[in-house]
Amino acid sequence: MRPDRTDAVFSALADPTRRQVIRALSEQGPSTATGLAANLPVTRQAVTKHLSALASAGLVTSSRRGREKLYQISPRPLTHAVSWMADLGARWDERLAALRDHVATSKGRR
Amino acid sequence: MATVEREITIPATPAEVWPVLTQSDEVSVWFGADVELDVRPGGRGVFRWSDGTERHAVVEAVEPEHRLSFRWLPFQHTAGRDVEAIPSTRVEITLDEVAEGTRVRVVEQAAFAVRATAGAAPAPRWPVVRSAVDRRAAVRRSAPELAAIDA
Repeated sequence: MRPDRTDAVFSALADPTRRQVIRALSEQGPSTATGLAANLPVTRQAVTKHLSALASAGLVTSSRRGREKLYQISPRPLTHAVSWMADLGARWDERLAALRDHVATSKGRR
Repeated sequence: MATVEREITIPATPAEVWPVLTQSDEVSVWFGADVELDVRPGGRGVFRWSDGTERHAVVEAVEPEHRLSFRWLPFQHTAGRDVEAIPSTRVEITLDEVAEGTRVRVVEQAAFAVRATAGAAPAPRWPVVRSAVDRRAAVRRSAPELAAIDA
């Protein structure tokens, strides 16, 4: 995944209400803004605004259902973001092992 | 997914580890990049990798022999001198003296997680990814349908 896409995912998830929307969608399955607002402490209008921000980051997709849109999670960007963090961890594993070896070598020289 | 935590214990004192963690020529040996780091609050860091990638950081907190934190700026230069946006993360490295030497602990967090911790509003919990093995479990906890895609 391109780094800028991961950035869009993290930016979209920077808002705590948007994280609640994602969580609610993952628990309830595909839902309308009205259905989500019923279980969240925000208005339907606010939920709709957050859903379009999440859609811009590729985190949710929507389809028509009568007069409302039905939203569902698009898991791939989230999986990629988790993977990005896992790679970050792997790099620190390498760095810390190298740090330990370098300290040992430096001490040996003294 | 928003936090990476790693630690290692090194058979040396914090006084011996600190210079290796903070002096540019020493950091360049183990970091995996050529590093210029100005270790004082507000000081700049420039990290250049052998593939031509360059990232910049700003030092936030410095407590000699105990704590160093810096924030990655949210972009990187590639070998072609393009600029790409990257997630803004904050790195905190702490040293603690233990019986076996010094425990070095690294926490790298996405910037929003730092804000969530600092703010009053309780944020939904995000799983902490400590290892590659954790990744699947983290995905599974995030949303069941993610695990199906990941499998």
